[in-house]
Amino acid sequence: MRDYWLSKMFFDLQQPALAAEFKANRDSVLARYRLSPEVQNAIREDNAPFLAERTNAYLLRYYFFTTGMKDAEFVRKLRGG
Amino acid sequence: MADFAGAFASSHGPLLVREWDSVPQSEKLRLEKAFRELGRRVTAARPDVLVTVSPDHWANFSLDNYPAVCIGVGETNEGPPEPWMKAYPHRELRGHPGFAFHLLNESLQHGFEPSQSHRLKLDHGTCIPLWRMELSKMPALVPMLVNSIEPPMPSLARCLEWGKLLRKAIESFPGNLRVGILATGGLSHSIGEKTMGAIHEDFDRETIKLFASSEQSLVKYLEKELPSRGNGSEEVRNWLVAHGAAGSRGFELVDYLPVPAVIVGCGFASWR
Repeated sequence: MRDYWLSKMFFDLQQPALAAEFKANRDSVLARYRLSPEVQNAIREDNAPFLAERTNAYLLRYYFFTTGMKDAEFVRKLRGG
Repeated sequence: MADFAGAFASSHGPLLVREWDSVPQSEKLRLEKAFRELGRRVTAARPDVLVTVSPDHWANFSLDNYPAVCIGVGETNEGPPEPWMKAYPHRELRGHPGFAFHLLNESLQHGFEPSQSHRLKLDHGTCIPLWRMELSKMPALVPMLVNSIEPPMPSLARCLEWGKLLRKAIESFPGNLRVGILATGGLSHSIGEKTMGAIHEDFDRETIKLFASSEQSLVKYLEKELPSRGNGSEEVRNWLVAHGAAGSRGFELVDYLPVPAVIVGCGFASWR
């Protein structure tokens, strides 16, 4: 299953300017996409397993890389740790 | 008529750049040697044009429109957009619209329906091998982006057929050109999945072995194994395009080594 708007936001966040804005004011960026409250919460909580069910695995990895998360931590979260 | 200058394949994992410093010295030396040997073979083949067969890692395409295959027909394409690829020396890469449009037309005439782009961003998938091979002269590039990122993807058999079509297009091009093929990606790796970091050396070695066997046994094995060997392994589709173009024979391994520091089973090959 793909959440189009979540995937769209992850795709857009590859742009450094938007990524910087996201880091500075996440809620302002989240508000531009039609994300359900559950998806918004999952983003705020770094709920990688929940997000993984809704987007492409590469985009998910790019997103967490953009937020500055190390791969080891990302994989730990992805495995539900 | 153009000449088929040869086919080549290389892994392209991002950590080959981003985490290069953490690669153990012995593996670094082997990787450098493999890239250089591949570069030497490409140079010796004297291609005027290199068709680069790689996936688009969300640099150009999104869920708005993700083509199965896209051919870059522009005069120029952009260098890699990834911030960590900013040291790559080429911000623009010369295309070859003459051959690209010929390939596009031949495709459409023979039952293949690729999309076309007049300007693509060539991400790390294309540019890491080009960079690391240290080519003294960069040929014109005709990008062929094959979806191995977002399911559903072109079938493995179709990728072989694409290679055969590519060869026909080379041989029917009405001009004095040497056209080579550089397939990138693979071998086994897993990106953004729970299995991220896993390298399936047994799968990689069997795949390499089967490239020297029949098309049928190779495709049959990959169809069975790919679903459980990590999403990055799907990039072997690009190697199949090169294999098809080479007439499914002449495969020669340059080197293979699993490199945990870059989380990829790194493979390098050419077709005689």
